[in-house]
Amino acid sequence: MLDVKNLFAGYGIVPVLEDVSLTAEAGKILLIGGENGAGKSTLLRAIAGFNKPTAGEVLLDGQRVNGMAPEQIAKTGMRLVLDGHRVFPELSVFDNLRMGAAARPGDRAGFDRAVEEIYSVFPILKEKHRAYARDLSGGQQQMLALGQAFVAQPRVLLCDEPSMGLAQSLMPQILSFLRRWAEEGTAVVIVEQHLSVTAPYADDALIIERGKVKFTCPAAELDDRLAAISAD
Amino acid sequence: MTTDKTMTMTDTAADTGRKPRFSSDLPQVWIGMALIAITGFGPSLIGNSYWSHTFQLVNIYIAAAIFQNFLFVDAGQKSFGQGVLLGLGAYVTAIFFGLHEYTFLAAAGIGLFAAALGGLLFALPALRVQYFHLGFVTLSAAIVFPQLLMSLDHWTNGINGISVAVPALTQDGFLGISPLTFIVAVFPMIALWLHYGIRRSRLGRRMRVAAISPEGARALGIKPGYMRFIAFLIAAVGTGICGILYLPAVAFVSPQGFNVELSFIFFFAVVVGGRGQILGPVVGIWIVYILPNIALAQFVDYRLLIYGFLTLFTVMAFPDGIVGTIERRRFQRGISGRGEQAFRVDNFLEAMKGEDATEPSTDVVVEVRGGTKAFGAVVAVDSVDLKVHRGEIHGLIGANGSGKTSLLNVLSGMSRLDAGEVRIKGRDVTRFPADRIANLGVGRTFQTPRIYPQLSLWDNLRVGLDARREAVSDEIDDLAEALQGQFADDSADLLSHGQRRLVEVMRTVLKESDIILFDEPAAGLSSGERENFARLVHFLSRRMGKTVILVEHDLDLVWGIADVITVMDQGAIVASGEPETVSKDPAVQHMFLGEARA
Amino acid sequence: MLSEILIIVVRGIAIGSIFSIIAMSFNIVHGATGILNFAQGNMLVLGGFIAYFLANGVGLGQWLLMLPIAGIAIAVLIAFQGWITLLPLRSGTEQDSWIISTVSVSVIIGAAMLLTQGPFAYSVQNMVPSFRILGVRTPGAYALSIGVMLFWFFALRIFLKHTFLGLAISALRQDMDAARAAGLPVRRLQIVAFAISGLMVGTAGFLVAPVISVSSDAGLRYVLNGFVAVVVGGIGSNLGTMIGGPLVGVVGMLVAYKIGGSYQDLASLLLLVTILMFRPQGLLGRASARQV
Repeated sequence: MLDVKNLFAGYGIVPVLEDVSLTAEAGKILLIGGENGAGKSTLLRAIAGFNKPTAGEVLLDGQRVNGMAPEQIAKTGMRLVLDGHRVFPELSVFDNLRMGAAARPGDRAGFDRAVEEIYSVFPILKEKHRAYARDLSGGQQQMLALGQAFVAQPRVLLCDEPSMGLAQSLMPQILSFLRRWAEEGTAVVIVEQHLSVTAPYADDALIIERGKVKFTCPAAELDDRLAAISAD
Repeated sequence: MTTDKTMTMTDTAADTGRKPRFSSDLPQVWIGMALIAITGFGPSLIGNSYWSHTFQLVNIYIAAAIFQNFLFVDAGQKSFGQGVLLGLGAYVTAIFFGLHEYTFLAAAGIGLFAAALGGLLFALPALRVQYFHLGFVTLSAAIVFPQLLMSLDHWTNGINGISVAVPALTQDGFLGISPLTFIVAVFPMIALWLHYGIRRSRLGRRMRVAAISPEGARALGIKPGYMRFIAFLIAAVGTGICGILYLPAVAFVSPQGFNVELSFIFFFAVVVGGRGQILGPVVGIWIVYILPNIALAQFVDYRLLIYGFLTLFTVMAFPDGIVGTIERRRFQRGISGRGEQAFRVDNFLEAMKGEDATEPSTDVVVEVRGGTKAFGAVVAVDSVDLKVHRGEIHGLIGANGSGKTSLLNVLSGMSRLDAGEVRIKGRDVTRFPADRIANLGVGRTFQTPRIYPQLSLWDNLRVGLDARREAVSDEIDDLAEALQGQFADDSADLLSHGQRRLVEVMRTVLKESDIILFDEPAAGLSSGERENFARLVHFLSRRMGKTVILVEHDLDLVWGIADVITVMDQGAIVASGEPETVSKDPAVQHMFLGEARA
Repeated sequence: MLSEILIIVVRGIAIGSIFSIIAMSFNIVHGATGILNFAQGNMLVLGGFIAYFLANGVGLGQWLLMLPIAGIAIAVLIAFQGWITLLPLRSGTEQDSWIISTVSVSVIIGAAMLLTQGPFAYSVQNMVPSFRILGVRTPGAYALSIGVMLFWFFALRIFLKHTFLGLAISALRQDMDAARAAGLPVRRLQIVAFAISGLMVGTAGFLVAPVISVSSDAGLRYVLNGFVAVVVGGIGSNLGTMIGGPLVGVVGMLVAYKIGGSYQDLASLLLLVTILMFRPQGLLGRASARQV
């Protein structure tokens, strides 16, 4: 579904990524891990069009999307959820969800269904649907940010550090939502620094170190692989 | 990017032959002088008094546009009100000379004083605000000025204006050239030289740095507000002289002569000619003023329309202006095979001193006590106590948003603690602004290196030297000479990211800072560059005796070089000590990939 | 004495309402693009010219018909201007070219008006009868200008809070990256914001034509007073402009009565400098204007 081939990218002239390739398949969760500053967020932002890759390709169902503006990429069916649970603070919860429909206009019935589903998964959002997003807790904002992406029903979901600034106890709820979402046929890519919480929900894992792919493996083997490296 | 860079420098690039010059400022001065001389003296020599008169005014406007160019680009001040300063010079001189019968020189002195005062009034809001705010303030002044000339008719003669004659200046002299013709041709030439001279001076470099990056300037001990003040003063005096010369040239002042259109002419001339190009104002005034007023004299009513369309067209099609576009072509032609590709600093440093001489001492040079800094509800730095010893390499680590960079900003004076205190070399600097802290011998680098593409590579380094407060030591002097010899005509814009980092480091070395703060220096460096960087930090600490504080994500790098490591989490310090001790701390373990570190 | 104060306050608020409308039209464009359109004052005067040429001395029916035409005409013009202004910003290298391009557009419009209409101020007939407040006769257009300000304030409020388009435009201001990630068509929304600002000043210029100076040199003064209003209120705050505009208007009127009409702009300039020196974020603003 999503194929990234030999990607080089960075900020301005700052090179960050070197020769990164990965594949995300429909129905599966790919977990991308690595230390702080390894280039994980840059990778997601480059895939989503926020920084222009200097070389390499990003293919969505075989179609090249690199070079497109982020808002166009969102419309082709690949949705990035930025890190830091970013929502529109001065908009209500419901209006934040409405903004999600920008990437899939004209499907009123689909929108209503998606909102209902979000409300049933995260009842707190339904309860607070008229509140300003700025008045939500960090965890609720993360739920809202994911809900806004869910409304667009993307084929590929890119999720940048969903756990950032959140209480650990909230993560199972959020991760199992992502798990179910993936099983409906979406390709989900999650970037995380804290791997142990996320790995059980993922199918595959990819570790980045200093802008390069260090290794890939099934998520179940991740602990062993990391332990082996630490032991060296 | 190559990964196997060695410490020794390849000297191939040093002798690629003569490099094209980095800036064409000097040739532009000469071309500008030649053009002004031809138009200034030519008509008088062939006895054409119409053209002679016309070019008197053109040359005065060129001079005013040169000062606008200086103010707009070198000092970064977006002023739309230069016509006011010219008008002040002209009107005040006219009032004292024409109405109160002072001598011309005495009246001109008062006029100049008035213009300088006007410039300082412009500079006042510029201390607080920049950018479009300043544009609106100066534009308002340009609108209000003629209104005031009208309403203060008791002093200004109102709408009737003031007629003056200065026969001593306007009589034909040697070769048919009147003293006035001579002065108004020489003055813009002087202005060209002045602009060029300021640019090449320490003041000019510091002014440009302050214009491009105020925080970069403050880290070099520069007060941006002071630079703006000086810039406005220089521009006001220069433009005021233009106003004084306007008086004998036109022999009449009235409020309509100083409406907002006049200010627009100077601004548009700078944009059309090429912002920041020395020659730009000459070409700009020729096109903006001469084209509609003289060449297309039957369309003189359309002149404002023509100014507007010319400028709009220029900013759309040639954002660099006419001279700027030519200049960029010239520069791009000579771009390949230049020395900056080989920019390295290690060998310059290696050449300086022999062996590792110093070890960290026990004196505390940087100390934070109970430091707290909040941004709204987020407490970025939370009751932090930190001690850094002289000569030590101190690593500061933690997750994103843990407060490392906020702490670094507090140490360098870029932000101020809400509670607690900071002491540097025993002095309480809690309330010091960044420039004062920089002048205490603190140097810093930024996450995004502050590189000034308008300056040559050597000048980018030289601003470090400019920031020194004491005399240059022989070693630094030799180092500077070597760097100048090699990089005076290279462009800093072509440097790779890793090289840009090195430029910033070198700048702090030239500044002879004894405390150096690095903000994520290894981000974006290749592994070879990281190794080089680690050696450079070691060199700074052990051979030059500098204290280094390092905020960095690359834990291998930090563990490899730091003497002491402090770990931050959510604004607070959770662990601090020698690397071996810190790595055993359970609070630190989870930071590592795989959540364990051997 | 009382009537004098009343005149100053009523007329000041009425004229200030026009500044407030310009200020609100700044806000919507600035929020979506970061641009302050220097040509906005001349656009208002153009709206006045439309009233002069197409609706001066006509019946109420035709006048009402011309109102939306004036608004739409100016909206289209500003949308086109916005498109041009945003072109060089695509590359991202030249971030302050908009100052130059909007100033030149302002000069072009002013020059075109001067060329075709001369330097005269045109008077436009009042469509709304004058009325009395505590015995002081007040031209109807003054009431109209306060009404237009209130109309646009509430219209913008509803638009920005309750329509998809308006919510999307305010989302741009709140978080540009998140808006792009959500797939909002940024460039198109920015041009819509420009168009709305045109609709505002176009209709306002048309309606208040009898009490503004419909002349080629008036635009710059309106744009500057509008800027003072937005700075006083705080950039981004429409509520703030409803304080800033009338304040600028009343101060100007007071100066005109006590010192002389030709000192009004000086008073605005001094007010602007005072606010920038002592409270650069404005009375209700959050974003700091200070960049030192």
